[in-house]
Amino acid sequence: MSSPSKRREMDLMKLMMGDYKVEMINDGMQEFYVDFHGPSESPYHGGVWRIRVELPDAYPYKSPSIGFVNKIYHPNVDEMSGSVCLDVINQTWSPMFDLVNVFEVFLPQLLLYPNPSDPLNGEAAALMMRDRAAYEQRVKEYREKYAKPEDIGAAPEENSSDEELSEDESDSSDEQVAGKADP
Amino acid sequence: MLPIKRACEGVVVQEDIENNNDNNGNNKNTNESKSEGASVFKKIRLAEATDSTVKITSEVVCGENNINSSNNHCSDSLVKGKEKEEASIMALGDANTTGIDEDLHSRQLAVYGRETMRRLFASNILISGMQGLGAEIAKNLILAGVKSVTLHDEGAVELWDLSSNFIFTENDLGKNRALASVQKLQELNNAVVIRTSTKKLTKEQLSDFQAVIFTDISFEKAIEFNDYCHNHQPSIAFIKTEVRGLFGSVFCDFGPEFTVIDVDGEELHRGIIASISNDNPALVSCVDDERLEFQDGDLVVFSEVHGMSELNDGKPRKIRNARAYSFTLEDDTTNYGTYVKGGIVTQVKQPKVLNFKPLREALTKPGDFLLSDFSKFDRPPLLHVAFQALDKFVSELGRFPVAGSEEDAQKLISIATNINESLGNGRQVDINPKLLRHFAFGAKAVLNPMAAMFGGIVGQEVVKACSGKFHPLFQFFYFDSVESLPSEPLDSSDFRPLNSRYDAQISVFGSKLQKKLEDAKVFIVGSGALGCEFLKNVALMGVSCGSRGKLTITDDDVIEKSNLSRQFLFRDWNIGQAKSTVAAAAAASINPNLKIEALQNRIGPDTENVFDDTFWENLSVVINALDNVNARLYVDQRCLYFQKPLLESGTLGAKCNTQMVIPHLTENYGASRDPPEKQAPMCTLHSFPHNIDHCLTWARSEFEGLLEKTPAEVNAYLSNPSEYSTAMTNAGDAQARDNLERVLDCLDKERCETFQDCVTWARLKFEDYFANRVKQLIYTFPEDAATSTGAPFWSAPKRFPQPLQFSTADFSHLHFVMAGSILRAETFGIPIPDWVKNPKKLAEVVDKVMVPEFQPKKDARIVTDEKATSMSTSSIDDSAVIAELISKLEQCQENLTPGFRMRPIQFEKDDDTNFHMDLIAGLANMRARNYSIPEVDKLKAKFIAGRIIPAIATSTTMATGLVCLELYKVLDGGHGVEDYRNTFANLALPLFSMAEPVPPKVIKHENMSWTVWDRWILKGNPTLRELLQWLKEKRLNAYSISCGSCLLYNSMFPRHKERMDKRVVNLAREVAKVDLPPYRHHLDVVVACQDDEDNDVDIPQVSIYFG
Repeated sequence: MSSPSKRREMDLMKLMMGDYKVEMINDGMQEFYVDFHGPSESPYHGGVWRIRVELPDAYPYKSPSIGFVNKIYHPNVDEMSGSVCLDVINQTWSPMFDLVNVFEVFLPQLLLYPNPSDPLNGEAAALMMRDRAAYEQRVKEYREKYAKPEDIGAAPEENSSDEELSEDESDSSDEQVAGKADP
Repeated sequence: MLPIKRACEGVVVQEDIENNNDNNGNNKNTNESKSEGASVFKKIRLAEATDSTVKITSEVVCGENNINSSNNHCSDSLVKGKEKEEASIMALGDANTTGIDEDLHSRQLAVYGRETMRRLFASNILISGMQGLGAEIAKNLILAGVKSVTLHDEGAVELWDLSSNFIFTENDLGKNRALASVQKLQELNNAVVIRTSTKKLTKEQLSDFQAVIFTDISFEKAIEFNDYCHNHQPSIAFIKTEVRGLFGSVFCDFGPEFTVIDVDGEELHRGIIASISNDNPALVSCVDDERLEFQDGDLVVFSEVHGMSELNDGKPRKIRNARAYSFTLEDDTTNYGTYVKGGIVTQVKQPKVLNFKPLREALTKPGDFLLSDFSKFDRPPLLHVAFQALDKFVSELGRFPVAGSEEDAQKLISIATNINESLGNGRQVDINPKLLRHFAFGAKAVLNPMAAMFGGIVGQEVVKACSGKFHPLFQFFYFDSVESLPSEPLDSSDFRPLNSRYDAQISVFGSKLQKKLEDAKVFIVGSGALGCEFLKNVALMGVSCGSRGKLTITDDDVIEKSNLSRQFLFRDWNIGQAKSTVAAAAAASINPNLKIEALQNRIGPDTENVFDDTFWENLSVVINALDNVNARLYVDQRCLYFQKPLLESGTLGAKCNTQMVIPHLTENYGASRDPPEKQAPMCTLHSFPHNIDHCLTWARSEFEGLLEKTPAEVNAYLSNPSEYSTAMTNAGDAQARDNLERVLDCLDKERCETFQDCVTWARLKFEDYFANRVKQLIYTFPEDAATSTGAPFWSAPKRFPQPLQFSTADFSHLHFVMAGSILRAETFGIPIPDWVKNPKKLAEVVDKVMVPEFQPKKDARIVTDEKATSMSTSSIDDSAVIAELISKLEQCQENLTPGFRMRPIQFEKDDDTNFHMDLIAGLANMRARNYSIPEVDKLKAKFIAGRIIPAIATSTTMATGLVCLELYKVLDGGHGVEDYRNTFANLALPLFSMAEPVPPKVIKHENMSWTVWDRWILKGNPTLRELLQWLKEKRLNAYSISCGSCLLYNSMFPRHKERMDKRVVNLAREVAKVDLPPYRHHLDVVVACQDDEDNDVDIPQVSIYFG
């Protein structure tokens, strides 16, 4: 296996080659933002969330830490801090995974199939369990308020094509995910 | 049979031993220590006569400790009523000789637990033979805290002893070994009684002891003594051990029926049940939350099972087919009730009875030998013969074989051959003359690393014998490290003694290697437990003791009380002083020739001005003595860069590991890693804890929020209100809003001016945490809530909580309020009144607190009618709220005394009087009570919440001994990888696993190959374009170049294209802000590249020269 510092570079590279918009913080490879588009066939579709990714010193042995910068209404995301309680990231991370997996599989799956049994946002979980329609309504309200694509990072023009690209990208991966996951 | 209750019998015979001493008093050299010793004995006798055997020596010397602990009892008396367990523990501690000083012994308590420590404190030990090995065993047992250690030796200190015994100096030459040892050993722990015996032992004297250890005894005598011990009622644990050159042996006999209480020292494994079948055998499935760690044959008990309640009977059941998330029971559950839900399965440990054979019998029928090195699987039987042959040689000739004497070696070989031939068919071994020759040559020498290794092993066996904790060594263990011998053959003249303190070592390794040791330039990183042991070892070996030698040790830590139970170069009067300085001075007093410099710098990127290129380049070897992985990885990178050997080791409780990192021969430390510790998911910690660790993690984080972060946030606001407000307004997010809310609460609603206010605050915190939040949670998710799929929401591993009803009659409730109000008062600088420690008074004040009725928030529940309103409340713009909070803050700031600041509290686990652990244990236990999770006492809470790493002297000593056996190889040079050994050992089992280090991975590309130890060099101050071109010529396409953690170039970033024609060194200076010292003419970059087929190629670091 490559040395950990090279895994950082390789994984970051793969992410960028996957047409994700990545914004480095201080040219360092520890922290950066990645724009993430809500998967289609989910109430999050149409929203764009800026995800803060932090690679710990022990990456890839230790999982990246993932947080939503703009608000999202989701049973497994802390409304205030944006922390994600995502099993795969926090619990069952293995050095075999990389950042592309996070953005193409784990996060879309989280948004497609929230898990209200392990809630970090109890209110959202309870609402989802009791009244799916009201819950989806609330998700959309939040999305429209906090996750408008034009609000994200004052994107320069050259990125607009990137965004479309990455949207296509995430669409296709959603289908893969949807095929695999149980409803 | 455990020899605990015999502690009092010791009184009688003590006098014999003491009389022996007195008789010996005519030895003029020992006048001083004799009279000192005698006075100690008298006090003890007095004390024992009055039956309050409480460690008298400590009353004299460390009276402070006793006062401290009685203070604790006062404050704890508050809790006495309810916390029966705690109270009874205290009662026990008070009543017998074993008041454990928990501050001193906390790290060891984390390994052994109170019960084992109590048994240790009641044990009297005899150590016979006070050369290097005896001294190491004595040190480890005295640090552990046995009741008494009696040192026996009939001989006088010789020059040869100075190669391995850290107690003796040249001034001790000619003195009796036991007498010369007393004073320095006593300094290690005043609570242990140390006696001496300088005359021939009689077997009857052995009945004074729970365990006897012989390090220098003939087989004939050993058999006589062992028979006596074996047949004694109750039996006396007997250990015979010796180290002869690079060979060592241990034999244990703890009696015909010895009960092991805890065979491995591991925590009990648990599982949370998901289902149980009505079947034969029954299949039990557990939640896939954590992997099960049961093994086939383990015994388990069940609790909280709904439906199949027959299993809750507390009867241990045996498990089979242990898998990651399931196992089967040997029970037929066909006719049991049908499993509904719930259930916890917990391992139970059964005591194990061992039937030891006496030495007489075991010699001819040794049974299985404990193997340490699979490449030497045939070695133990051979050494079994060799040690008997040596015994015979010594008894026949009255001396050891002489180093370099072929004649003596031949004699030993022929004795061994004879013994071998007398063995029955099938039990004979291949006599290996080459090995026996080495054995003969070194037989007279006790080497320090061997003494350290066996001192650790035997020390642990004694602890096992006294306590029943951990599985004893059953019964023979043999070990050799012939690979430590110089790679070049030695001439017999090399072994000739030089009349120096290293003569014993020279007799094994020759004077050439001795010279290399003395001239070595060594860097020991860390001066904690490992560091102290290493300093002792290298001082005795003479490493860095020559005119050209230099030893540098660094540590930025100061000495604390909890260090003293194993960091044996420190004394209680050193508390607060710099570790490295004190340790260096102590090491120099072991060997005054040691050329040592002590530094107080933490190793890391920040101190590269201290540990600069010249420093690293001059080193011969680096020895890590660190306690954290990050520092280890850093030193590893430096050693990799400067191509220096790195000797790495670490311990965890009774476990230890060593790893040799040798340039170009082995992989580096960072090449392989343990998986990081799993953390519990946040949602579990927030609302769904299912074990006490979850509760403690939560408690620790609440503690920090309440007492450290919020007060610090308040101060940040107060020190510059406008700047703080602007920052929060600019952030404008939920986090900023939350910060402001907490600051406002502290300065407004929850502001405390009197101590009563603090009591109110603590009482309301109790209500909030343990009643209101739980009520809200079970309102949002009622017990019968179902998820979208219809499955019950409250299913395993989630536990349904119940709110607590506060009551001043419940001491744990009151104790929580006490600790909470005291710490709250501290943050506000409010004096703490005495009455808070009076439960009755406190209860009166608490009862006066008005507690508002709680109404659960209905947002989540009422979905249709109130949707609109709830939406508007929860999604009001944060910025509007922030503005309002800021204006409120401005108002209340006017009411504050000018210059008012809060006092943030930093969690300090090691002070038993600061109430920090009281609050954390209170928070965790009340939460545990909410969720019906078993509570823990304050000590256990401290181990978990304080992340106390269990540590004992024995495994530490052994690890450093093993490393120093490798140090001989490193400093000799010329050894191949097959001569080196990495070790993993667990003294609790016991298990020794030694193996050749893994060579570095070889990477091939085109016609090149390299390892992690290689570096590529590019000269001529290239531009980025030139660097890329240079790589291109090697058919490598670079896509990312970085320097440190900073990116210099990435092919995906358009703006990086502008950097193409800049010189790499300038990029590093401008972009990465690399500060290159004037003397340095190169910088190193990490390049990620691919070959022409787009496969990643892991190339070496590239050094770019610009000078």
